Amino acid sequence: MKNASIRIRLTLWYGVALGLILVIFAGVIYVVMSKAMQDEVDASLEEAAAVAVRTLGEHRFGPFLIFEDLSQDFPELALLDKFFQIFGPAGQVTIQSANIQSREIPLSQTAFQASLNGQATFESVRFDQGVPFRLLSVPIRHGERLVNILRVGTSLQPTVDMLDRLLLALLIASPLAVIVSLLGGWFLAGRALRPVDSITHAAQRIAAGDLTQRITAPRSTDEIGRLASTFNDMIARLEVSFRQIRLFSADASHELRTPLTITKGETELALRRPRGAEDYRKVLESNLEEIDRMSRIVDELLFLSRADLGEIKLKQVPIQLDDLLRDVQQQALVLGKDRQVETVVKEISPMMVSGDELRLRELFLNLIDNAIKYSHPGDTVEMSLVPNGEKGEFIVKDQGIGISLEDQPRIFDRFYRTDSARSHSTKGTGLGLSICKWIVETHKGAIRVQSMPNQGSSFTVLLPLSPSIP
Amino acid sequence: MRLLLVEDEPKVASFIRRALEEESYAVDVCVDGTTGLDWAQGVNYDLIILDLMLPGLPGLQLLRQLRAAGVKTPVLILTARSEVDQRVKGLDAGADDYLTKPFAIEELIARARALFRRASGTPTGTLQVDDLVLNPVTREVTRAGQRIELTAKEYALLEYLMRNAGRVLTRPMITEHVWDLDFDTFTNVIDVYISYLRNKIDRGRENSLIQTVRGSGYMIRADS
Repeated sequence: MKNASIRIRLTLWYGVALGLILVIFAGVIYVVMSKAMQDEVDASLEEAAAVAVRTLGEHRFGPFLIFEDLSQDFPELALLDKFFQIFGPAGQVTIQSANIQSREIPLSQTAFQASLNGQATFESVRFDQGVPFRLLSVPIRHGERLVNILRVGTSLQPTVDMLDRLLLALLIASPLAVIVSLLGGWFLAGRALRPVDSITHAAQRIAAGDLTQRITAPRSTDEIGRLASTFNDMIARLEVSFRQIRLFSADASHELRTPLTITKGETELALRRPRGAEDYRKVLESNLEEIDRMSRIVDELLFLSRADLGEIKLKQVPIQLDDLLRDVQQQALVLGKDRQVETVVKEISPMMVSGDELRLRELFLNLIDNAIKYSHPGDTVEMSLVPNGEKGEFIVKDQGIGISLEDQPRIFDRFYRTDSARSHSTKGTGLGLSICKWIVETHKGAIRVQSMPNQGSSFTVLLPLSPSIP
Repeated sequence: MRLLLVEDEPKVASFIRRALEEESYAVDVCVDGTTGLDWAQGVNYDLIILDLMLPGLPGLQLLRQLRAAGVKTPVLILTARSEVDQRVKGLDAGADDYLTKPFAIEELIARARALFRRASGTPTGTLQVDDLVLNPVTREVTRAGQRIELTAKEYALLEYLMRNAGRVLTRPMITEHVWDLDFDTFTNVIDVYISYLRNKIDRGRENSLIQTVRGSGYMIRADS
């Protein structure tokens, strides 16, 4: 049973249940019917006996009754389905109706004894050919004395025939009903379970790697319909995240391919023929630069994937944000000097936040470094840190290449680099702003960008303040 | 042979240019798609090496527009994406060959040579005019079995002449295919290099292969 399909099991359960119900039902019907028919027979016997006793009372009692007289007065006594016998007080037959024919139906001992005690007796008997009879023996008393015993009998054959027919009908109809219901159950279970099969097939195709598959079950609101639509939704989400992962790894490999192409190409070129020491030095320097770039990409990728998995735990310590920014600005001065970009702190207010100092330093440095990287020589990068309601607002503003409106929503995406960013600086990995965004969001803050191409960009970071400790 | 390299990553462009120049090819480099399309339509290049990821105009679109404009110059695409789909799209857009980054520099050069060979209709690698033989792979030039040493420019000029043997090549044509954009058109550099070549190839031989076509240009031909 365990391995049988749900369809078979449902059908069998259905059939067995129906079969049991039918057996009980048929049994009850049979018992009730036979009881009712026997009661009816008994009632008719009693009625006939009462009539006979009354008749006998109107005539003279005695051992010698003439049946013909009797039947003359009571034509109903001659009815074919009943016979009469009148026994004398000793139990011997004195008169019996003609329709009893030649059958010997003696008075039983039980009935005789009961009659002596003045009680009527119902008996069921079966004679030679197996025809069952129902007999009612009624004592006729005159005062305390038993005068006669009247017996009314009737054949139970019609009743038995009737019950036999009922039984036959039940025996034929019940299995038929079970078979029909089994077929119906099989069909219904199959119909109900067909979407399950289609879900299974879809799941198999999906398991084989085809995430574009959907279940084509009818869009109903029943259990199967809900299962199918839930399943489809799940696959749709899986498809999206798989596509993102594929895109991400394609982007990652693309970003790594560029430095690989450069190191491989330059090294092969250098090795094609003997060259001067200076040429080799240049190649090695360039290769070192590219190796650093690859390390940076790998580090940042690792950081982001660990961040995705929730493996990076941030400290929650009070940080004097203005001190941190001053510190970062010292580094920024050096970075800016290399590119002839001036870095200026316009406004700075003391404020405390709760967070991870290392990450917040990385955030500031990343944003300031970006601002310097995408500035033109001679430009100025302005920073400010001021409270804004419950939040601390850090703004870094440059006069650099800017970001076009259509690129702005995507700059925080992983590996997204605008064309102008690509051609302006080869140092970027396309991951810096993704990391900034992650740091800001894990500090429950927000990051925004405002920019105009060729006029510069302004990045705003909002971080929730913690009450300063005196 | 003159090539156009459209590649936005400066270091990649730089080493490819140097490698090709070492092969005596004249190489122009541009870093964005729009300029790339302009140049590819303006100059009669012998080969265009095209990166697919370009600022301005993506490589595939550049290629389609170029082909739509009727430019038949062989195009070799460089792609950082290894998916078959990308290569199929590139080839269907009209590219003649492709390389996936990172690639071996020797392979790039060999593929470039193969494309030149196909374009000039010489099934084998070597070019031959009479008893003058040039092997583009080894860059060896012999006449009657005797090795001739040439400078890079002389070699480039001779290769161009031999690839177009029997055809008159005008000075602008020679300029276009042997020198890059830095070439100053108002000098007589071509005549000077032709005379260098003649000194090395034809001097003291019975028949001169390099011929001057009055008023038009030069031609290399077996019969005299």
